[in-house]
Amino acid sequence: MGLTLETEVIVIGGGMTGAGVLRDLALRGLKAILVEQQDLGHGTSTRNHGLLHSGARYTVRDEEAAIESYRENLILKKTIPGSIEQTGGLFVKVPEDENSYVEKWLTSCKRVGIPVQEISVADALKQEPYLTKEIQAAFRVPDGAVDCFTMVVDVVADAVRHGAKVLTYHEVVDILTEQNRVKGVRVRDSFSGEEKEIYSQMVVNASGPWGTKLAQMAGIPLKIINNKGMLAIFSHRFNKQVINRLRLPGDADIFVPAHNVTIFGTTGINVEDPNDFSLDRQELEGMLAEGKKLIPTINEMRLIRAFSGSRPLYQEVAASDASGRNVTRGIALLDHYKRDGLDGLITITGGKLTTFRFMAEKTVDLVCEKLGVKAVCTTDQQAIPHRNAGEFFKNADIAPAAKNKLFNWAGTNAPKIESSLQESKVIVCECEQVTWAEIEAVLPEGGRFHLGDVRRRTRLGMGPCQGTFCNHRAAALAVEKKKATIGEAERAIHHAISERKKGMDVVATGETAKQLQLMETIYKVSLGMGEEDVQYV
Amino acid sequence: MRNLPFFEDTFDKCLKCNACVASCPVANTTLEFGGPKHLGPELKRLMDNQTIIDDKSIEYCTLCTTCDMSCPEGVHVSTLTAYAKAIHADMSGTKFRDWVLSNAEMVGKLASSFAPITNLAMGMKPVRKVMEWVMDIPSERQFPKYRFKNFNRIYKKKEAQTERKVAYFAGCSATYNAPEVAMSFIKVMEYNGIDVVKPDQKCCGVPMFANGKMKQGLKNANDNINSFLAYTRQGYDVVLTCTSCTMAFKKEYVSYLGTEEAKELASHVYDADEYLRILKENDELNMELAPMKERAGYYAPCHMKAQGIGNPAMDILELIPGYEIQDVGAGCCGQCGTFGFKTEKYDVSMKIGRPMAEAVKEVNANYTVTECGMCKNQLDQLTDKPVKHPMQILADAYERAN
Ligand SMILES: Cc1cc2nc3c(=O)[nH]c(=O)nc-3n(C[C@H](O)[C@H](O)[C@H](O)COP(=O)(O)OP(=O)(O)OC[C@H]3O[C@@H](n4cnc5c(N)ncnc54)[C@H](O)[C@@H]3O)c2cc1C
Ligand code: SF4
Ligand code: SF4
Repeated sequence: MGLTLETEVIVIGGGMTGAGVLRDLALRGLKAILVEQQDLGHGTSTRNHGLLHSGARYTVRDEEAAIESYRENLILKKTIPGSIEQTGGLFVKVPEDENSYVEKWLTSCKRVGIPVQEISVADALKQEPYLTKEIQAAFRVPDGAVDCFTMVVDVVADAVRHGAKVLTYHEVVDILTEQNRVKGVRVRDSFSGEEKEIYSQMVVNASGPWGTKLAQMAGIPLKIINNKGMLAIFSHRFNKQVINRLRLPGDADIFVPAHNVTIFGTTGINVEDPNDFSLDRQELEGMLAEGKKLIPTINEMRLIRAFSGSRPLYQEVAASDASGRNVTRGIALLDHYKRDGLDGLITITGGKLTTFRFMAEKTVDLVCEKLGVKAVCTTDQQAIPHRNAGEFFKNADIAPAAKNKLFNWAGTNAPKIESSLQESKVIVCECEQVTWAEIEAVLPEGGRFHLGDVRRRTRLGMGPCQGTFCNHRAAALAVEKKKATIGEAERAIHHAISERKKGMDVVATGETAKQLQLMETIYKVSLGMGEEDVQYV
Repeated sequence: MRNLPFFEDTFDKCLKCNACVASCPVANTTLEFGGPKHLGPELKRLMDNQTIIDDKSIEYCTLCTTCDMSCPEGVHVSTLTAYAKAIHADMSGTKFRDWVLSNAEMVGKLASSFAPITNLAMGMKPVRKVMEWVMDIPSERQFPKYRFKNFNRIYKKKEAQTERKVAYFAGCSATYNAPEVAMSFIKVMEYNGIDVVKPDQKCCGVPMFANGKMKQGLKNANDNINSFLAYTRQGYDVVLTCTSCTMAFKKEYVSYLGTEEAKELASHVYDADEYLRILKENDELNMELAPMKERAGYYAPCHMKAQGIGNPAMDILELIPGYEIQDVGAGCCGQCGTFGFKTEKYDVSMKIGRPMAEAVKEVNANYTVTECGMCKNQLDQLTDKPVKHPMQILADAYERAN
């Protein structure tokens, strides 16, 4: 047994919910440690659509969710501007959609207070030329696009700035209890296998789809239904704004622009295993057939990959129903003392990316109440540093496209990146214009070299070639610059390529099939990397 | 310009294989140039529905279209680089010099009304120095000569009586600098019993595209399309003697405009030698060619290679008894239209052209044959061999036989 640590609150799960809880705790002056089994955003928080809901999608079916979404939409635009693109969104009616829904929808949007503006069909087609010419009505709403990669990283970084601690690549393997009280957790270092115990007064379970497993460790019943959704990424951004179908929410009816790509989805199928990220070609075909009604040329456009994630939906267990405190129908905040007689443990789950801050606020309110701390939430006011870096890079001698990326991306890393740009201005990933300087700036001090971690923080390998050229470049440079050993670099390449391949296989027709072939040729033939199974974390 | 509807989505197919970069004559010569992949498909993807990015290094692209031919995925790389040029011109403004160079036709008209003076002036050191200072045109650079008796003044025929009818697009070079090429072509057609007319025409637009003047270039394109369609719809074939103009008619108009009219016209367009080759295949070609004991080196302009029709000039000239012609097998000449006229591009232009000059020297023929007036300019500058257009040689062979 290694070290032991002590803190006031342990947060399990480095998804958006856990990140939000950690920051709120830190801003209210509570000592907290976040434990994440892999990298930040390993779970659903980077496996979603990235739509900053305006609430318009929910007004008819779930007014409360609509109200929350719209309120949070406004707050997040103000407080986390660096991770949100205020694209706006369109709700578009195609002939297949019920006429009567339009009136119903307009009335409920009005009731909720979501601003909706009708635009002419001609204008809609001008703004979004890929839309079908058949559309019958179009309305503008304040939807936005969230970069969930930067958002989770930035929220956690801000928590750290306010004194919080983070342990990534540490899995909670046990919840330590003493009589009817949780006193901490045991964690295992995913790299070294070493275990530590962390003691605290309160544990917040924000493990999303893994919630059931964590509850089992504490010996309490908790039913999380994992509703898996599939998403597909188009190789370029063909829409300026979010495009929704104007109908009761269903499958495959949203297109969200995300920097240089468009993300399309989604579906919903219940699965047991939280680690089930499987992808099904038939499911994709079904999505494309539906998506075609909005974007008729959908089958001619190049898909670069698909991915899936699970919505953690809380289901009341009949017997202990009364003690669950549902914040709304979608969000579940469970005080396990009231619910199961186990003190010191809270579960927060359900909800949406858009409402993570609100979920965190409610959770930390409960933590404070239980710990007898008087501190108010300020996350609705206090902003996180912007990603803009307009004052930097003026004289950097790099391609204007790479510069443009840095202007909108570098954020608090800007000084670091600017100075290392003077040494090396190599563009490692051409598709997404990622410089070595950016990669260097996000490598953890003394940490392990992991291309997935780099990708989530820089967009390395997220473009159409899916890392065909940049993964090995980045790994080679890391070795050259003594940021990784040869063994680490090789493992990192293997891991990155097999992970990219999974997402590409399911969409591999046309260009992407060729791209995959090219990638395999480069890695297997040119670089002599075989199929043999390498152990990754 | 930034709102110009650009019908181009082939960028989506790019696999990042770098074949275009490996074949680009400019990317291989200078690191200042971002290269075809980046400034073509990559940049377009990064800008679509987002911020427009102005990359100055696009000035180095010569629109030689070599990249288009090398791409295994059929990405219209040079259409995309032309777009990047238009964006650059729009956002950074165009130099007065680029304006002058992109207005070959106007300069031609102006210059040929004072032809003897212009030629002298162009050759005179002090004037050239002024041009370098004011307009950034290097004083070492040789200029094509402007003719007072330009083709417009000599030839005005608007209607053909023969069975095959040709509508001729002469292009700026044959109109203002080398009317003998245009006249030779008409003679060659005469020997084949074909009447040639000269419809109303404007500069094909290639120099404008190359200098980012997309709007102006497209206006000319539309005017030419309308003027020539009136002829093709009456059964005329459109024949050209300049490879760059031919490329514009066959390919650029179609990919930049994307209109049905552009496509319709493109299906009637032929390079002069290509046209003669068709006559030959149909047994219609007049074979009364006098023997010629000459040895020539053929230099294929990039815009000829890009048409993907092989080497029609060599196929035709080889029909002359005793005539020997050999492909010098060189890459881009480096003049690249107006590119080599710019001070900041002069060194690159010379560097690109050097292998060509070596190849010409190696072959050591009596003279060099090429279709492109701009390649001729570079050949004149970098080699000591005379340069001829295939039509001049053919006209000669027909004349001597009669
Ligand atoms: C297909 C799909 C599309 C969606 N689209 C949108 C959208 O467009 N807009 C929107 O607002 N919302 C959207 N959502 C919902 C949103 O993504 C989720 O509600 C949100 O991401 C949940 O975050 P979380 O932090 O609760 O869970 P997660 O992000 O899954 O976080 C849980 C974390 O806990 C970690 N963990 C688990 N077990 C352990 C352990 N033993 N030890 C340590 N760490 C552990 C996991 O590794 C994981 O990182 C979508 C969801 C899906 C599935
Ligand atoms: S047109 Fe010619 S110069 Fe321009 S990018 Fe293509 S190959 Fe290079
Ligand atoms: S040759 Fe074609 S596919 Fe290859 S990088 Fe260039 S544009 Fe892309």
